[in-house]
Amino acid sequence: MAPSKSGIAFILDNKITEIDFSANDSFKPTTTVLNYLRSLPGHKGVKEGCAEGDCGACTIVVAELDGRGGLAYKSLDSCLVFLPAIHGKQLITVENLAIKKGKEIKLHPVQESMVKKDGSQCGYCTPGVVMSLFALYKTHQNPSREIIEDSLTGNLCRCTGYRPIIDAATEACGLDGRDHFSENEEEIFSTLQNISEDKTSIEIYNPEQIFLKPFTIAEAIRLRKEHPDSLIVNGSTDVALLQTKKKILLPKILDLSAVDELKLIVEDHSKIAVGAGTSMEELLQFCETRLPALATILKVFGSLQIRNVATLGGNIASASPIGDTLPLLLVLDTKVRLLAPGRQRELLLSDFITGYRKTSIEADEILALIIISKPLKNEIIRTYKISKRKDLDISSVSACFRLKSDKNNNVAQIKIIFGGMAATALHATKTEDFLLGQSWSRETVEKAMEILYHEFSPISDARADEESRRIMAKNLLMKFWIETQESKNHSV
Amino acid sequence: MVKSETNPNISLQHESAISHVTGQSAYINDMPVNDQMLVGKVVYSKFAHAAIKSFNLDKARNFPGVRAVLSVHNIPGANQMGPVIHDEPCLADKVVNFAGQAIFLIAAIDEETARHAENLIETEFEPLEPILDIETAILKNSKIGDEKRIETGDVDKNLQSSMFQISGTLRTGAQEHWYLETQSCVCIPGEGSEMMVYSSTQHPSETQAIVAEVLDIPRNEVTVEVKRMGGAFGGKETQGNHVAAWAALLADATNCPVKIHLFRDDDQIMTGKRHRFISHYRAGFDADGKILALDVELNADAGAATDLSLAILERALFHIDNAYFVPNLRVTGQAWKTNLPSNTAFRGFGGPQGIAVIETVIDRIARQLKLDPARLRQLNFYQTRQNNITHYGEEVENNRLPMIFDKIISNSGYFRLREEVEAFNQKNEFYKKGLALTPVKFGISFTTSFLNQAGALINIFRDGSVVVNHGGTEMGQGLHTKILEIASKELGISHNQIKVTATNTSKVPNTSATAASSGSDLNGMAVKTGIEKIKNRLLTLAAELLSENHGGENSSPENISFKDNLVFDSKNPDRTISFRDLISNAYFRQISLSATGFYKTPDIHFDKIKGRGRPFHYFAFGMSVSEVLVDTLTGYHKILKTFIVHDAGDSLSEKIDIGQIEGGFIQGVGWCTSEDIKWNEKGQLLNHSPDTYKIPGVRDIPLEFHVELLKDAPNHSTIRGSKAVGEPPFMHGFSVWLAIKDAISSIGNNRFEPDFQIPATNEVILKSIENIRKKIKS
Ligand SMILES: Cc1cc2nc3c(=O)[nH]c(=O)nc-3n(C[C@H](O)[C@H](O)[C@H](O)COP(=O)(O)OP(=O)(O)OC[C@H]3O[C@@H](n4cnc5c(N)ncnc54)[C@H](O)[C@@H]3O)c2cc1C
Ligand code: FES
Ligand code: FES
Repeated sequence: MAPSKSGIAFILDNKITEIDFSANDSFKPTTTVLNYLRSLPGHKGVKEGCAEGDCGACTIVVAELDGRGGLAYKSLDSCLVFLPAIHGKQLITVENLAIKKGKEIKLHPVQESMVKKDGSQCGYCTPGVVMSLFALYKTHQNPSREIIEDSLTGNLCRCTGYRPIIDAATEACGLDGRDHFSENEEEIFSTLQNISEDKTSIEIYNPEQIFLKPFTIAEAIRLRKEHPDSLIVNGSTDVALLQTKKKILLPKILDLSAVDELKLIVEDHSKIAVGAGTSMEELLQFCETRLPALATILKVFGSLQIRNVATLGGNIASASPIGDTLPLLLVLDTKVRLLAPGRQRELLLSDFITGYRKTSIEADEILALIIISKPLKNEIIRTYKISKRKDLDISSVSACFRLKSDKNNNVAQIKIIFGGMAATALHATKTEDFLLGQSWSRETVEKAMEILYHEFSPISDARADEESRRIMAKNLLMKFWIETQESKNHSV
Repeated sequence: MVKSETNPNISLQHESAISHVTGQSAYINDMPVNDQMLVGKVVYSKFAHAAIKSFNLDKARNFPGVRAVLSVHNIPGANQMGPVIHDEPCLADKVVNFAGQAIFLIAAIDEETARHAENLIETEFEPLEPILDIETAILKNSKIGDEKRIETGDVDKNLQSSMFQISGTLRTGAQEHWYLETQSCVCIPGEGSEMMVYSSTQHPSETQAIVAEVLDIPRNEVTVEVKRMGGAFGGKETQGNHVAAWAALLADATNCPVKIHLFRDDDQIMTGKRHRFISHYRAGFDADGKILALDVELNADAGAATDLSLAILERALFHIDNAYFVPNLRVTGQAWKTNLPSNTAFRGFGGPQGIAVIETVIDRIARQLKLDPARLRQLNFYQTRQNNITHYGEEVENNRLPMIFDKIISNSGYFRLREEVEAFNQKNEFYKKGLALTPVKFGISFTTSFLNQAGALINIFRDGSVVVNHGGTEMGQGLHTKILEIASKELGISHNQIKVTATNTSKVPNTSATAASSGSDLNGMAVKTGIEKIKNRLLTLAAELLSENHGGENSSPENISFKDNLVFDSKNPDRTISFRDLISNAYFRQISLSATGFYKTPDIHFDKIKGRGRPFHYFAFGMSVSEVLVDTLTGYHKILKTFIVHDAGDSLSEKIDIGQIEGGFIQGVGWCTSEDIKWNEKGQLLNHSPDTYKIPGVRDIPLEFHVELLKDAPNHSTIRGSKAVGEPPFMHGFSVWLAIKDAISSIGNNRFEPDFQIPATNEVILKSIENIRKKIKS
């Protein structure tokens, strides 16, 4: 038997905190960081507004080893994160920002600006907002309005109308980014490094719950084989909802979020290989120039808090019809690599996803790598997402189009995949068939729109009704056509 | 902590700003109580309408860790929690009338235990036919209250004789309050039947009354305290009472402290929303676009009980004119009973639903006559000397509409923007811009006249520090900050000498809800009268002390002034004594340093039968201009620019008023655009969490956003010349709504009236565009 440990260690309030789950009945391994913090007397500033990652009232910041000898500060929704996910990290809450000296309080620059600019009214969203601003402060200097907004899409405020919060961000982040955290960084760094040096898997076997947290691929596949009935989690932005919303106690969890080998992006002339554990935010940073069609979608993927933890592997393995990366990845004939002890296999993503939230993964396998073929030079690829609210919303309809036209402007190759129109992301085959060989003209596209309108039988639900989905689908084809004509492009 | 001292030029920041940003502000769910505190859980109906045939609570009661499971049979007092009309059971009795209605209550040692217990409750239901929309309610004649009607002039005759007529129907949707802090309450039982209630309620006195009623104890046994709410917006005006009543029942049954803090989805499922309306209108107008006659029938979805529906409907009737003089006007309104949670107060309180109708009428007239809608609005505005009497007979005094119109037209460069928008639309097929100017005139006062009263309690301690308590509650709107400002100015002492403490029914009794935008108008005046009482008691003493050690004439009480922490003789300004010393002296002279204040709004009345009177103390005005860009293929819109000019009188706090205006505007935009509520065919709410219910986010605000308070426009006979500012800005959202419609309309060169409603989600926008494109083709 490999050696194992049953506890986690992290830094809170500048001290190492250890929780041994086998000896602790206050906290389960799936206790969320939010509930943990709120159970402490000094951290009630962190608030629950929704328990599903949609409001940001629970936003905290973690500082973690960035792999380049420094610390990375990331905001995340503590309502979706299980305690073991913060092992080896520094947990920073709103209570840690100001410095108290006797009766005097020295506010952190982001707090100071929030006060000056009237960024709070009822105050309930404020701790979360302050933490998003703090993460922004630590990562950007003089950020553009776009970056400021991006770091706040995950924070809902019902009172202020946001303008004063944007002003506070602009003011505070005009400074040099230094604060009392900068002074302690070296010490924090070495403490975290000490914790992280121990690569012994965390294995918690409690009567009600088993929680496994490996740090290497080898351990991950060993544990997977030993516990084929375990539920894999990575960012847990999908899985955590089973507990926080459906109130299901997850009996057996294999947490891959600390397996660094799964967090990689490598590129050659024809392919981009992305580790399943790569966060959406890292992927977004990478794609902006290298695969803009993916960046387009990732920019409106959840919020920064979600993207900081959600992984590409999780998005694919959840096989949801509204998984936003799927249309593009399918259009690009993406392959996935699955690992099991002593074997590995590669298969097309289209074969991996077998139905509504179903995949062909075997009980002893983990998804390790996503291999994306790069589009060719003479192809045009675009992705689209329509949701009720543009940011932090799930698609009503999403789509990816891939076009190759010949020198006569006829359609030599076309692929169209829609999300949100059926139980899985699906090809619009009738429309594709119609378009193939036709002239890529507005007239053709208008005819194709009619076909597309009837091609799917989408459902009506809380997000959009059937008729709207049909209209959205056909309109996106026109939108794509317009963009291929390089007409004026205003973004809404 | 608060910086501005008594310098009138520095606007005060929110009194809790520092505790907000440091996470120190405590809400109900953050209260440390003791380890005996139990978790309260409400078991509610999944059926919109069903008979409860039988139930068995034994298994749940016997589950370890469960301390109480209550049904309607375990209520010591009245099974009732309706605020005005007593038609709302505290726990369902034999029948459930909406999905989300409370049936049982559980108190347990923790959440998990309470959930287990819930699963052990056995209940047998017999589903009954539910009424889920206004149309069905009308068919089945399922009414709440009688028809309301206000009429002036001869509508039928003038409709017929008008050169042009239009008619139509407008649907306005429900809206979820989405306060960040869900409904919460902690009840702590005391000696005998005492009950201490910490509640997130806008109406502590009513919470007290309802708790007393369900427990069958006199009100003097119940104390309700409210420190602050994490947002309310009307959603805690009556419905905070429910959670308090349930928590009190459990605390009483277990003799332990009990906390109920609703889970977000439960809150959205159980509580009422803004009333949906279906409004039918007919309007007659002349070739210039002057409205000659208007006939409107308002139908409100009240939900399963009355709650505040009748007052809300009444306010919709009062605001059917918005800012326009309509010589012949008839408006009728009926509230309909459906099997949905009882709808309730929400910022604007029916006003927005009424105003949306006349704004639609004006918008349509402009399109039909090919006139600029802003000019047409101006043409129909109430005037200053004539054409200034509303349909219910109140004169529009101190009409600021002309002033604001000029200001906003120049601020926004409206006519230049109009040209730019048209030029853009000529050049672009798939992106369209739209522009709209909308006004608001909003009546300030509770329309139930007797509610316009408030009380305060002022205590000065021997060290000169002051506690101010008043009947209003703090929900983020900055009421306590304004009160602090008022008290500081009246007493002439620094803000940091004064503390505005939690609202408490044992300090100030029989208060009205903090609602109708009236919080600072009423409570500010009450505080002022209380302070004046104490100051009057101090004048003689001050005069005496100031005369000591000074030769010449004695100081006289009527010349005593309070300023800069000093008390002085305004005739001999060098004669001063510190406020603190004066107070210390007063104590030894046995002068009472505690006083109550009271205020009632003068001269307001309304005859509900005749539909005539002066229901409002005054009107607040404002206008906004918005320019939007609509992507006609995705239905997305972006607000490019918004200009607002708003009348807050002599603002009590510019920062706070601007915060109210911006926040209210964005909330109005949310109602008008993305906040969509759907129910399934069983009457269950589909959008029960922020996953599917979309309030505006940071990217939904205007790219360019200019808000200005109207200058040099003091109000008459209100506290320091100020005006209420809570609700009126909500209506500025209409400029975005109608700008979107303008953009859609441009697709057909304004030849076709776009299908439109509230909310104009991207679904609605896309379908409307689709229809216009079809019409162009045919
Ligand atoms: C507020 C919010 C907003 C969201 N917005 C979007 C959005 O805009 N677009 C969108 O597409 N999705 C969205 N999601 C859904 C979710 O965030 C994404 O699907 C995300 O990519 C899941 O990644 P994760 O690492 O968090 O997955 P997890 O929750 O950890 O796992 C998801 C699933 O994948 C499986 N899995 C994960 N990793 C592996 C692996 N290595 N091998 C095998 N199986 C694995 C798990 O067993 C589980 O079934 C949102 C979710 C929330 C809560
Ligand atoms: S509580 Fe809303 S995002 Fe976590
Ligand atoms: S200040 Fe109230 S929700 Fe943001």
